[in-house]
Amino acid sequence: MRKLGLLTMVVMFISLTVPAVSGALVLKETPGIPPGLPSVVDRVPKEPLVTYPDDIGRVIGVQGGALHTLISRPKDVRLINVWGYARLVGYNENLELNPDILESVDNHYDKVFTLNLREGHKWSDGSSFNAEDFRFWFEDVALNEELNPIGLPGFMLVDGEGPEFSVIDETTVRFEWHEPNPLFLQELAKARPPFIYRPAAYMKQFHEEYGNPEFIRQIARIEKVRGWAPLFNRMDDMYGASNPHIPTLQPWVPRNTSGDRRAVMERNPFFHRVDSAGQQLPYIDRIIMDVVDGKLIPAKTLAGESDLQARGLGFSDISVLKRGEQTQDYDTRLWLNSKGSEISILPNLSVKDAVWRKLMQDRRFRHALSLGIDRELINKVLYFGLGRAGNDTVLNISPLYQPDFQTAWAEFNPELANQLLDDIGLTDRRGDGVRLLEDGRPLQLIIETTGESAEQDDALELVAETWKEIGVSAFIRPSQRDTIRARALSGALMMSVWSGFENGVPTADMPPIDYAPTREDFLSWAPWGNYYESDGHAGVKPDWPPAIRLIELFDQWLVSSSFEERDMIWEQILQIHADETIHIGLVNAVRQPVVVMGLLNVPEMGIYGWDPGAQFGIHRMDLFFFEDLLPDEDDLPH
Amino acid sequence: MSPGERGEDKAEHYVNPKGFDPKDVEILTREQERYYQAPQWKIIWWKFRKHKLAVLSAIILFFFYLCVPFAEIIAPYPVAKRNVDFLFAPPQAIHLFHEGKLVGPFVYGLNPSVDLENLKWVYETDTTKVQKIRFFCKGEPYKFWGLFPASFHVICPAKDGTLFIAGTDRLGRDQYSGLVYGARLSLTIGLVGVSISMVLGVLLGGLAGFFGGWIDSSIQRVIEIMRSLPELPLWMALSAALPITWSPVWIYFGLTVILGLLDWPGLARAVRSKLLSLREEEYAKAAALMGASPSRIIVKHLLPGFTSHLVASATLSVPAMILGETALSFLNLGLRRPAVSWGVLLNEAQNISVVTIYPWLMAPVIPIIIVVLAFNFMGDGLRDAADPYK
Amino acid sequence: MLNYILRRLLVMIPTLAAISFLIFFIIELPEGDYISNQISMLRSTGESASIGRLEFLRKEFALDRPFVERYGIWVGFWPGPNGFDGLIQGNWGWSFEYDQPVGEVVGPTLPLTVALNLATILFIYCVAFPIGIYSATHQYSVGDYTFTLIGYLGLATPNFLLALVLMYLANSLFGLTVGGIMEEHYIGEPMSGGKALSIVAHLIVPVIVIGTSGTAAMIRRLRANLLDEIYKQYVTTARSKGMRESKLLVKYPLRVALNPFIADIGNLIPSLVSGSVIVSVVLNLPTVGPVLLGALQSQDQFLAGFILLFVSILTLIGMLVSDVLLGYLDPRIRLGKEGARQ
Repeated sequence: MRKLGLLTMVVMFISLTVPAVSGALVLKETPGIPPGLPSVVDRVPKEPLVTYPDDIGRVIGVQGGALHTLISRPKDVRLINVWGYARLVGYNENLELNPDILESVDNHYDKVFTLNLREGHKWSDGSSFNAEDFRFWFEDVALNEELNPIGLPGFMLVDGEGPEFSVIDETTVRFEWHEPNPLFLQELAKARPPFIYRPAAYMKQFHEEYGNPEFIRQIARIEKVRGWAPLFNRMDDMYGASNPHIPTLQPWVPRNTSGDRRAVMERNPFFHRVDSAGQQLPYIDRIIMDVVDGKLIPAKTLAGESDLQARGLGFSDISVLKRGEQTQDYDTRLWLNSKGSEISILPNLSVKDAVWRKLMQDRRFRHALSLGIDRELINKVLYFGLGRAGNDTVLNISPLYQPDFQTAWAEFNPELANQLLDDIGLTDRRGDGVRLLEDGRPLQLIIETTGESAEQDDALELVAETWKEIGVSAFIRPSQRDTIRARALSGALMMSVWSGFENGVPTADMPPIDYAPTREDFLSWAPWGNYYESDGHAGVKPDWPPAIRLIELFDQWLVSSSFEERDMIWEQILQIHADETIHIGLVNAVRQPVVVMGLLNVPEMGIYGWDPGAQFGIHRMDLFFFEDLLPDEDDLPH
Repeated sequence: MSPGERGEDKAEHYVNPKGFDPKDVEILTREQERYYQAPQWKIIWWKFRKHKLAVLSAIILFFFYLCVPFAEIIAPYPVAKRNVDFLFAPPQAIHLFHEGKLVGPFVYGLNPSVDLENLKWVYETDTTKVQKIRFFCKGEPYKFWGLFPASFHVICPAKDGTLFIAGTDRLGRDQYSGLVYGARLSLTIGLVGVSISMVLGVLLGGLAGFFGGWIDSSIQRVIEIMRSLPELPLWMALSAALPITWSPVWIYFGLTVILGLLDWPGLARAVRSKLLSLREEEYAKAAALMGASPSRIIVKHLLPGFTSHLVASATLSVPAMILGETALSFLNLGLRRPAVSWGVLLNEAQNISVVTIYPWLMAPVIPIIIVVLAFNFMGDGLRDAADPYK
Repeated sequence: MLNYILRRLLVMIPTLAAISFLIFFIIELPEGDYISNQISMLRSTGESASIGRLEFLRKEFALDRPFVERYGIWVGFWPGPNGFDGLIQGNWGWSFEYDQPVGEVVGPTLPLTVALNLATILFIYCVAFPIGIYSATHQYSVGDYTFTLIGYLGLATPNFLLALVLMYLANSLFGLTVGGIMEEHYIGEPMSGGKALSIVAHLIVPVIVIGTSGTAAMIRRLRANLLDEIYKQYVTTARSKGMRESKLLVKYPLRVALNPFIADIGNLIPSLVSGSVIVSVVLNLPTVGPVLLGALQSQDQFLAGFILLFVSILTLIGMLVSDVLLGYLDPRIRLGKEGARQ
């Protein structure tokens, strides 16, 4: 798995091999394609992205069918663009980064990125996708002050400076920085990518500099917005799937007649991927999303009303889903949640209260808290013992994993925990056995929760019980995201509970953002993150050596130019986390139920995550197809 | 009539030599006499007693309300006690006879195991383990009213045994104990809410009814505005506004105030119309002429005339508040753990798993139905009894 | 009569003003606003790219102004960032969550909301009427107790749980889709016989659930009214003259006892709306209920405010209608009311 991150090499390799193969491919016309469209040869790019299903453990499928799935609010229609996961460059199932929409990327030391488009690539409305779409975005959208008052997005800036952009020819564009920007390609592969291109032909009609003012005024009145900028922003929805007219490069396109309660997405006839049999992808013609209340999703799935469902289902629904398999023809697969930890307790290392801060920053205290938790019990009670008790760190399927990261200070050992607390000097106890701080206050931790997850609350109850044995009292206070964030920033928060690191399966090429105090919404050290984010204009300068070291390492990663260097940085970062127990993780590798009804090419086992993963995205949803469309065995021409 | 004319019409003074014996006209039995001489509250009680269903309801409610002060003693387990070996355990049936022999109330032991194929807990009843239920016993330690450590219970499981009369939830918390503790909040929320609404209703309705004029019409307007607001959406909006960071106790008071604040207009209306009619009565006029202050007239002379009505209609609005609390908690807008109310318990019972696999978690419905029914029947009885001279 | 209605309508204006202020106050009570919530949500999922756009909305909708100004802008008597443009001018506001004008969000839910409530009112009348008469004429009989008990049971069962259980039963016994207003494949299709049938089938559970809570109260009132009337002199007189019992009942007391049916329309509407909110949430019916709940939870303030205001207006109109009807049917009430007002 170590070679996964050899980004530059992989990219070069593919850009060399793909054209050679597709020359021999004979394309087949998609059945049921609307009349009036050009033939498939003219619809796909000259060099389409050819997928060999056999190579990734899948089979050649059959085109057609409509897939039903359930979403809990109308906004979730955007998931179609997550699951479709057509990106300039995207991850595959092994989390390797490959060109997808792009034919290739030439990456020169992470400083100069030359993007090569596919010749003849078309938007879903049939118009040409070319360098002008990039130029339009960069010059007329991203740098337009009315549309984007804050200017270029953060990942485009290195030391506050944007790239130089140039159009080489019709299918080649270049972004050039003076210093390395290793974030650039990673960002393009996200579940919610920054779309650094726009369908220029369509969007120009709403742009002040290109469009007809009278037309803009009229449309603005219809859309009930004022001025061209809000109108442009409203129409310019590459991600939310709220504007059915905007052309897209994704496998499915929202149909414009779907109502509020149901969204229908049709296949994109100009999609750039084909399978090795010459059939254009995606296999499934139509995706139908029904909006139902989140609480009803398990019940409706149980009643067989969804063909593919993971959203809205949680671990606690598995029992009832498994039971339903006896009467319905679906299959409940248990994928792996890719978070660093399902539940993670976050001591606030930058809490304002001096006595508490001293204690929180004392590594023995955090070790004692960690040793005072019976993780196996929590795993058993909440997850039937199916998760893995351990720290909040990378999972064992990540190439960066080392067993010690997972297990350091994570066993249940109250004696040692008591010993450590005694060593700190917390020897005085109250009548009920709770230890006293040096200023005589009881050692009572107030843990704030978002109240959104019953599992978190349950786990905390179990934690609080074993903490009593080591003389630590814990009080659980339900709150909400906003409030917790604000309190963390002001230093009033003492401790909180959250899910662990979002990315539990990183490769060395992925930025270790979560693992260092780099953002103000990290609850272990919000003021420090704020300091970093604002370049020292706000927040508090970190005064805790491990945090300072983590920032150094992160900064090194940002300017690193080789895989080995990044690998080493990651290892040091993870080692610090293991030694210091900065997050107190409880259980990781918890299963996510995925209900599959009558679909083939859906992996039995996979990772389920947002970034990286895009949920079904990296599992190639465009390859899923319906089993009942397969011709009968006898009819097969053998 | 002028005094001059009086003399001319005046009839000759006459006194019946026999004297007047009231019993001569209408002879009252002892019962009748008792009845007519009895004070008002006594007659109400007599009439109420005749309403069998209402009396039964009152008795049932009394027992339910015992849970409020004595929850710790009545419940076999403390409310937060988790039995991590018995997750989602089904209710244990109570038996009397073991192998044909009378043993007294007991349950059979449970053997838990996990079914990894279907991912659920499986419980086998072990009929060799007879666990006799103990009564008035020492069991799980607790703090009475959160203050005094004690371990006395009315009912306890056998030593080393279990007693899950209504099963357990996902953390192995005893559902029956949850119900008993939940009664504490669910039952008082209605009472406190109704008290708030009564104070407001009597005050504002009294002002409107007695003074009339602009006070009356402005209070009338307020009532009209309040009544045109749909109850539940308004409850929802207000409870969504309760700061989530409040402690459960404050949330509880916040909820009662919300429930009470929106309930008073109906009561105020009744008070106003009653006052309007009573104020015209002779005795009220007499009091006014004798120089009594308005507040004295209202409190001393008019209020007693319809206190019983007030009590009856208040009784009838308690169940609405109990249901209101469950609805709000159901929508995640009300109380939350660690506070335990019937609504909180039901909130955890709203998914399809519960309906199909763990139906015992819907148990809080039963006390809710019983209490609401009882309040309604008792209220009906009280209302019928409230007007004793009718 | 026309005068009376006009006067009532005039009185409604200050009432509406007060209601709108109250509602705006309530929905603004929670800390923060939609935009700040969204920003923190986006941050937590690392989607910080679109934060700039949200800040843009905050200005656009004057969320940075003081409270009274915001109220004024919402109603439309204070100039906002784009001049006078509020409820009075016909701009019902903007829903952040749906990214659409409020009217377009609420509009599609109205037909079903109205249909559901009408069906429920009908159900309540159809059930309460016969039972109420029976209970009154057979006071203290077994039937009286049974029916009253059933009525109260409906009142006492928490709506949402009843809905949940009935929905599950409807699915496992009759194969109805779980929740929703019709079989999914009919959504977005033109109206047809099959679609209508499907809608009717899916309406049964919610109508029963919402209706049960209203029926008990109606039975109780009808029974009490009838009992009052039955023992009046004129009934006794008629009976002594040998009038048939059924005719006697229908001819006089029933007509008086009908009043609550009309008088209650005004009261029924808010309580039905309340009932339908929670049941619609459980059963996933596309009425205004779930929209309101969602709006309250995500602090989508203009949407929540508009729905609350809208329901209040409905209630006011319902009250007016029932008063007018009552006055029309029963001159005593009309005269009494007008007398009291002058």
